Amino acid sequence: MSKPLIEVKNLTIETAEDSRTLVNNISFEVFPGEAVGVVGESGSGKTLTALSILGLLPRGVVARSGEINYSDSNLLTASEEYRRSIRGNQISMIYQDPMTALNPVMKLGKQLFEVLEAHDLLDSEAPQRVFNAFKEVGIPEPDRALVSYPHEFSGGMRQRVMIAMAMILSPKLLIADEPTTALDVTIQQQILALVSEQRRKTGMSMLWITHDLGVVANLVDRVIVMYAGRIVEVGTVKEIFTNPQHPYTHGLLASLPKSNVKSRERLMAIPGVPPKPWLVENSCAFSPRCTRATTECFNETPSLKPNAFTKAACFHEIGTSQ
Amino acid sequence: MTLKIDNVGKQYKVRASKASINALNGVSVDLQVGQTLGIVGESGCGKSTLARLIVGLEKPTNGQITWREKPIGNKDSTTLKIYHSNIQLVFQDPYSSLNPRQKIGQCISEVIKTHKLRAGSEIQKRVEQLLLEVGISPDLQHRYPHQLSGGQRQRVSIARALASEPDLLILDEPVSALDVSVRADVMNLLFDLREKFGLTYIFISHDLSMVRHISDFIAVMYLGKVVEYGSWSDVLDNPKHPYTKALIDAMPDHENVGATKYEKALLGEVPDPANMPSGCAFHLRCPIATPNCKVQTPELILIDTLHSVACSELKS
Repeated sequence: MSKPLIEVKNLTIETAEDSRTLVNNISFEVFPGEAVGVVGESGSGKTLTALSILGLLPRGVVARSGEINYSDSNLLTASEEYRRSIRGNQISMIYQDPMTALNPVMKLGKQLFEVLEAHDLLDSEAPQRVFNAFKEVGIPEPDRALVSYPHEFSGGMRQRVMIAMAMILSPKLLIADEPTTALDVTIQQQILALVSEQRRKTGMSMLWITHDLGVVANLVDRVIVMYAGRIVEVGTVKEIFTNPQHPYTHGLLASLPKSNVKSRERLMAIPGVPPKPWLVENSCAFSPRCTRATTECFNETPSLKPNAFTKAACFHEIGTSQ
Repeated sequence: MTLKIDNVGKQYKVRASKASINALNGVSVDLQVGQTLGIVGESGCGKSTLARLIVGLEKPTNGQITWREKPIGNKDSTTLKIYHSNIQLVFQDPYSSLNPRQKIGQCISEVIKTHKLRAGSEIQKRVEQLLLEVGISPDLQHRYPHQLSGGQRQRVSIARALASEPDLLILDEPVSALDVSVRADVMNLLFDLREKFGLTYIFISHDLSMVRHISDFIAVMYLGKVVEYGSWSDVLDNPKHPYTKALIDAMPDHENVGATKYEKALLGEVPDPANMPSGCAFHLRCPIATPNCKVQTPELILIDTLHSVACSELKS
């Protein structure tokens, strides 16, 4: 296999003040051209993982240990100057809510020029580049859009602007944090189509963070499932959806509404709620909700190990009994 | 007939531009006791406005909503109070619909006191019973909303809605804000409560697959109008309106890995309700629109026993 584009190794993220674990010793990689989905619920650590790659962890939260290796340097220990040179240029990010991610009092064109300025690319070609970036993401009348403010645009159009901003320097890796969650389904479908097309054109890698299994099923090559700050399962999108081995992945898929049921059919629920990551450091975090849990699950943390289909962190994998 | 929504319209005035927005336009739906009506549509389709009108939070501009043969929106406060105890609303976001400074037990007992449903000494027992009904331990009654998880908070909202002993619950995206792994649990609770108390539901959601699980009938709305109505199987297994078909295609599909349907994505966006297109409101985005759709406004027409569709291009 080729060399990974980015490699996250034993990453642990904690609160700075009282060292509460938020992300617990996770490792994964993204290969050139590959799209990886990170699926998890709120508090599972998926967003913090993404932000740590960019060095944008919120105040009060720190990456305590581990490495994030990108082209021969560790982004966790690299200088801020170096990280700044990579951000927006080689690795860029789109966020859930473009209304807060875009500057509300700056014209959209200017916000794209700023990206170029940050990387010393404000040359004679810059206006054409910005125009093309808008055109590329399907914004009608790019000329008019350049001099508009974010509030003049709909949610879907604002998300297109954010994608244009993220794509203008042709990044090697695009990190997307639930960019379609706030959108209506028909607009979500348009944005997914746009991103898929951009990926096909540019060959960029993608890290797509979401709580919606349906979205990644038709978008990515591989899926990472996170639960309470840990990776509980990794596999190709096909195996994760057809042969999930971790009881959490299995339960989550089973709990989703199906398209072939009769009305008034109950759902397969997982009892309980996800725990706080810092309270379950020495056990399997899913054990209190798991029907397969035994004594060892409550006393030991299972590590990710390969099985016939995926890699799962579980003492009692589902197997082929499906 | 329990609930009759008859040709209801709701207009809002925009102060700045003096324009008016048609949030609802000639909506007619009936609902029988014990049944569940699913209402689906995207933002701006009027589904939440309809919920507010049914609960009586706002009055329709035209048309009438009747509940057990009595029109709502009556000024008479006693009638309104009876009405309110009969029909309750559960909101999407339990973070903002529960008072953050009120213990959850209090927030339920308040409802019982308002409607004078129990004698003073009985109230405490009733609160505990309601909490048990929704799967919350009565030990938690002295907690504040922020001390509970999202799923528990939504259960408390449901208990509060049940406190007035309603017949009809309007559920406005009740599980959309919850974590994926707790959604099914709350949905199953809604199934159980419907069974146990013979409740009638109006389930409002953008998620067609959830709607499928719970509804007997489904109304699909677009820009303030019902564009398709029928039994759950009519609408979801045999959809006729191009918008219903597009919604079904746009649902993220976890059952068919790699089966992208992105090429079928609807073009354009929902038009501004203050500046409605002529004719059929959907014609600008419709894959089968003809020049006629720009002129003619289609009416909801019965095409089968209970299945009706508002589309001029429908050849059945």
